[in-house]
Amino acid sequence: MKARLPAPYGSLIDRDKPLQFQFEGKPISGYSGDTIASALLADRRWLLSRSFKYHRPRGVLTMAGQDANTMVQLPSDPNVLADRELIKEGMKVTAQNYSGSLEKDRGALLGLFSRFLPVGFYYKAFFKPRGMWEKWAPLIRKKAGLGVIDQQLKPDYYDKQYKFYDVVVVGGGPAGMQAAVDAGVGNCEVLLVDENPILGGSLNYARLDAKGVLSQQIREELVTKIQANSNITVMTNAVCNGWFADNWLPVISGNRLYKIRASQTILCTGALEQPALFHNNDLPGIVMSSAAQRMIHLYGIKPGTEAVILTGNNDGYGTALDLHDAGIKIQAIVDLRDTPIYDDIAEEAISRGIPVKTGSAVYAAHNKGAVNVTSVEVRKIVDQGICADIGQVIQCNLLCMSVGYTPAYQLVCQAGGQLSYDDKSAMFTLSNCPDTLHLAGSVTSLWQIDAVRSEASRAAAIATNALGLSEKLIVEPIARDNISPNHPWPIFPHPKGKEFVDYDEDLTIADIINATGDGYEHIQLVKRYSTCGMGPSQGRHSALAAARIVAAATNRTVADTGVTTARPPFSAEQLGHSAGRSFYPARRSNMHYRHVEAGAEMLQAGAWYRPAFYRRENFDEQACINAEVTNVRNNVGIVDVSTLGGLEVRGSDAGEFLNRFYTFGFVKQPVGRARYALLTNEAGVVIDDGVACRFSDNHFYVTATTGGVDRVYQSMLKWNAQWRLDVDITNTTSAYCGVNIAGPNARLVLERICNDIDLSSDSFPYMGVRRGSVANIPARLIRVGFVGELGFEIHVPQQYGEALWDALIDAGIDNEIQPFGIEAQRVLRLEKGHIIIGQDTDAMSNPNEIQMGWAVSKKKPFFVGGRTISELAKKPALRSLVGFIITDPDAPLPQESHLILNNEQMTGRVTSCHYSPTLNKALGLAYVPPESATVGSDIIIKSTGGVLVHASVVELPFYDPKTLRQEL
Amino acid sequence: MAILEPSSVLRRSPLNRRHLQSHGLFKKIGENLLVEHYGDDDRIAEEYKQAQVLSICDLCTLPRIGFKGAGALAWLKSQNITLPELPNTTTQQNNGGLAAKLSEQEVLILSDIFALSQDVNNLSSAADIEHQDCDQKTYVLPRGDSHCWLAVTGIEAAEMFSKICAIDLRTHKFSIGSVAQTSVAKTNAVVIRHDLGSIPCFYILSDISGTEFLWDCLLDAMVEYKGYPVGVNALQSLITEK
Repeated sequence: MKARLPAPYGSLIDRDKPLQFQFEGKPISGYSGDTIASALLADRRWLLSRSFKYHRPRGVLTMAGQDANTMVQLPSDPNVLADRELIKEGMKVTAQNYSGSLEKDRGALLGLFSRFLPVGFYYKAFFKPRGMWEKWAPLIRKKAGLGVIDQQLKPDYYDKQYKFYDVVVVGGGPAGMQAAVDAGVGNCEVLLVDENPILGGSLNYARLDAKGVLSQQIREELVTKIQANSNITVMTNAVCNGWFADNWLPVISGNRLYKIRASQTILCTGALEQPALFHNNDLPGIVMSSAAQRMIHLYGIKPGTEAVILTGNNDGYGTALDLHDAGIKIQAIVDLRDTPIYDDIAEEAISRGIPVKTGSAVYAAHNKGAVNVTSVEVRKIVDQGICADIGQVIQCNLLCMSVGYTPAYQLVCQAGGQLSYDDKSAMFTLSNCPDTLHLAGSVTSLWQIDAVRSEASRAAAIATNALGLSEKLIVEPIARDNISPNHPWPIFPHPKGKEFVDYDEDLTIADIINATGDGYEHIQLVKRYSTCGMGPSQGRHSALAAARIVAAATNRTVADTGVTTARPPFSAEQLGHSAGRSFYPARRSNMHYRHVEAGAEMLQAGAWYRPAFYRRENFDEQACINAEVTNVRNNVGIVDVSTLGGLEVRGSDAGEFLNRFYTFGFVKQPVGRARYALLTNEAGVVIDDGVACRFSDNHFYVTATTGGVDRVYQSMLKWNAQWRLDVDITNTTSAYCGVNIAGPNARLVLERICNDIDLSSDSFPYMGVRRGSVANIPARLIRVGFVGELGFEIHVPQQYGEALWDALIDAGIDNEIQPFGIEAQRVLRLEKGHIIIGQDTDAMSNPNEIQMGWAVSKKKPFFVGGRTISELAKKPALRSLVGFIITDPDAPLPQESHLILNNEQMTGRVTSCHYSPTLNKALGLAYVPPESATVGSDIIIKSTGGVLVHASVVELPFYDPKTLRQEL
Repeated sequence: MAILEPSSVLRRSPLNRRHLQSHGLFKKIGENLLVEHYGDDDRIAEEYKQAQVLSICDLCTLPRIGFKGAGALAWLKSQNITLPELPNTTTQQNNGGLAAKLSEQEVLILSDIFALSQDVNNLSSAADIEHQDCDQKTYVLPRGDSHCWLAVTGIEAAEMFSKICAIDLRTHKFSIGSVAQTSVAKTNAVVIRHDLGSIPCFYILSDISGTEFLWDCLLDAMVEYKGYPVGVNALQSLITEK
C-alpha cells in the first residue's frame, strides 16, 4: 500500500484488519473499511474504467459514488461503484468496457474519430438507405451497455419493510445531525438517514478552520447528542432514493427497501461539487477537491505528490492545506477569481508560501503518454470562458477542482420544490416546498457552519411545532452569505475539444453547442438529443454546465434556461430492491391435498390451485383425461368446484336485484329452484355466468365463474349503489367448498351419505336446489348439468371440504368412483356444447351470436346490457359461435385461436377444440361468419404447422341432444 | 392420552398438513381440534417463552361468525352482545369472547381461545331461527369458514408485521382493541390487537383459501426475529400465567 498515510488519517479503515482482493486478476491489499477505489488508490492504481463512448481512461472523480467513472464489474454484479463498494477478502473485481486490456484498450481508437461522431450521430447516420439500420443495429447493440449480466445468478433475498416516523431527516451532515438533535424532543420519533458509513457528512473531511480541528469538534458534539437521544434512530449506509406524495420515502439499505412514512421531512441533502471544463478535464488524477479530502481523511490515501488546485472559492485553499498537511507539494493554487476575498483558511494557505495565481484557469491538462495527468497548462482569463493565448505549464500528478456546487436538489424537486438560479451570484435557491417538507444546510446554499446549524434547528422547530410536539419560537431565516462559492463560468473551450461536460456519455462543449445548432434549444430537448444527463450519474455533474452552455448558445440566461428534471431514483438501485420479496397469493380449497395425494397434476387458474387431471400408472396425460371422461359418462366421478364464485344476495329486493343484473327473469323464480344466470355489461357483452339458487323469497345464492367472481361482486355493489334496492350482497366464494358428483351412478352414491334430502328425480328435479346435510355436514345441493350427466353440486362450509371429499370417495368405493380434473371437465362440457366465459367469448361477444338468446328475457323492462342487446338484434349478425366436428382422424387437432380461413381470408377462429372420447372424434367451437354458420357448412381451419383442416358445422350439443342424461 | 388425528373430525384447518409436518399434537377445545404444541412435551415451556417473543398460532377451527345489515347491531345488542362504539375497535365480552365492529353495519364475533364463550354458537342458532328468511336486515356472515384466524404474538410482532403490512402496528400506535382492515402480504386481512396477558397479540383474519400462503409469508417474515409456530397451549398460558 504505497500511498497510505499514517493514522489518524483514514477514519473509515481498520488497519488491524488487512484484506486481499483481486483487480483485473492482480492481487491488491487493503483494509477493512476500504472501498475498492480507495484500496486501488492506496496501491497507486488510478485507472478504474474506460469511458462509454471513446473508451477514455477514467479514475476517481468524486470519491463519493456520485459518478460513473468508478463503475466496475463484480462476478455477479455489473456497474458497481468502486468508490462506494467495500472490499471483501478474496473478491474479484474487473474493469468494464474495454477491448484487450484496461491499460491498452483497442476501443480507445474510437477517440481518433470523435469528430466524425458528433452529437445526434445515430439519428443522422443510420436511417439511409432504407433498411440500413437493421444492419447497423446488431453492431451498435453489441457496443452499447456497460458490464456483463450473470445469467446463471441465483438471486439474493431482497425484501421491504415499512417504517413510520414523526420526523425523517435525510442527510447526516452537520445540518442533518443538528436537525435530528433538535427534532428529537418529547416523544418525537426521528429517523436520520445517511448514505455514508458514518455520520458527519462534510465534517468528516472538509476543513472549517485554519487549524483544521473545528470539523471534528462539531461532529463529536453532535454524534454524542444523537447517541444519547433514544428518540433518534440512525440509518447509515442507507440511501433515500426518492420523495413521493405524503412524505413516502424509499430508503435502500443492504438488500432491503424501507418504505418510510414521515409526518414531517427535513432534507439536508447537501451540495454536489462541480467540475471545471477544460481540455482533458477527465484524465485520471483530476478530481473534485472534496474527493481529495475524502481520500486523505476517510481512507488515509495520499492522492499525489505534486498537486495543483483549481479553485473559484476559498474551499480550494482548505483543500490545499489538507494536501499540504499530508505532505503533498502544492505546485500552485489557480484561482479563477481576479480579486479574491480571503478567509482565515485562505490566509493560512498563503502564509505557508503556497503559490497562488489569481484570475487564471487551467486551460488544458496533459498526460504525456501516461494514464494520469502529468501537467496542466495555466492561462490568464481574459474574458468569460476565454483564456490568454499563452500560459504556463505546471508539472503535477494531481489536480483538484473547487469551482462551485449545485444543491442536491433531486428529492426537493420531486416533492414539488422549485429550483431557481441567480446568474449574478451563480447560486441556486429552492422554494415552494410542501408544508411538511423543510430544508437545511448547503442544499439551501448556506455554507457557514454556524448558519447551517441555526437553520437546521429552525427547520426542526417548524417540524416539531407542526406535530404539536413543541412550541418553539420560530426565528426569521438566516440570509445567505453574499460571497458565493460558485464561480459563474468555469468553462474554457479548447480548439482540440475534449472538455467534457458529461463524463458518462463523453459529451463535450461542442456537442452541447451543436445540439442547440441542430434546433434543440430547450434544455429538455438538448438532454434527449445529446443524452447529456441520461447516464448513470443522471446529470449530477453535467446539468449546470450544460445549462450554462445552452444559455450562452441561445442568448439566454441560465435562469431562463433552467436545468433538467430529476426523477427518482436518486441513485441506481437494483431490480431486487424494486421487486423485493414477491408475494403471489395462492388459493387452495380445503380438499387440495386430497388431490395431491391422489396424483393430481395441479395447475393455477388465477390464484387458485386446481387439479388438471389425475395421473394413472402407464397412462399418458391424454389417456388419463379420456379415462376420467369415460368414467363420468359411464359411471360416477367427482370434481372439486370450490373455486366457483359464490355470492349471497339477500333482502326483500333480492329477486328484483337479480332481475336487473342478469339477463334472465328472477322475480318469479320459485324457491327451491336454480336458474341459469347470464351476465352482460352495458355494451351487451357477455362477461360472466352462473346459476342463481333461490333458497327463500329473500335469499339467492348465486354462483359465478372462478376468474370472474370478484368482478361480478364489484359490479353488483356498483349497481346497487345506484339502484339502492333493499339487498345485501356478500361474496362467500371462500366460505364454501364445492364438489360436483356426476355420472349415471351419482345419485346411487350420494344417497348413501345424504339422509335428509330426497334425491329422487321427482322430488329433486334438474335445476332444483336443497339444503340439508351430506355425511353429517351442513350442505347446499344444486342439481346442475354442466358436464351433461346426472349431477349434484354439493356446497359445504370450507373447512368441511376435505371431510366431504373423503365421505364421497368412501361412499362410492364400491362403484369405483373416481375424481376428475378440470381438463376432463372441459371435454365433458364441450361434448355437451356448454361454453366457458372468457374462453368461448371475447370482449365483443353478445348473447345472440353465442346462441344464448334463450337466456335473455324479452319480457322484463330493464337489465344491464338489455338495451344494447335488443339494438344489436336488429342488425345483421357479424359472426356466430358454432359447433364443428372434424371427420379426418389424421388431421392435427386445432388449438384455441387457430384461424378459420376462406380463400386465405381470415373469417373466424376456434375457441375450443378437443378430442371426444365419448364420440370418438375431434370437436370444437368456433366463431364463423353467418354464411358459414348453417349446419352442414364446411369450414377450413388453419391448424398446427399451417395444415388446413376441413370441419363441418353441426348442431349443438354434440352429446345427448335431448338432454335426457342430466335429467335422469 | 390418545393421539388425535386431525382427519378424525369433520371440520379441518387448512393448515393441518403444515402442523403434521411440524409434528403438531392436536387437542380438542370445545368441538374443535387445534394444535396443542409441536414436538415433544418438553417443547411446551419453550413455546410459552417463544409466544412472548414472536410466534404464530393457528386458530382456524375456533368459532367465529359475522353479521351485517342495517338491523345487525340492534339485533346483536338484543342478544346481549356488548358492542364497541366506534368502527374498527373491539369490545371483550364478559365470557371472554370478542366483538369487533368493522363498520356501522358489520360486526365480527370471535370466540375466546379456550372456546368457553358460547356466543358464536348461540348467535348462530338464534340467527337460524330469526333470520333465515332474510327479512330483518340482519345477515349472517360465515366468518368461521370464509376467513382463517391466525394469532401472532410477542414483543417482536409489530416489527415483524412492518415487513408485510403498511399499517403502523407498533403497540404505542395501535392500541389494544384496535382493528385494521388492511392488506397483509398482498392479501386482504382484518388485523385485531387483542393482547394475551401482557403480551402483544394480533389476530389476523383473512380469506381462508389463502391461509397457507399467508402462513408461509408470516413464517418467512418471522425468520429475521427467530419466530416460529406454537400451539394454542402457549397462548392460553399467556393468559393464565400473567
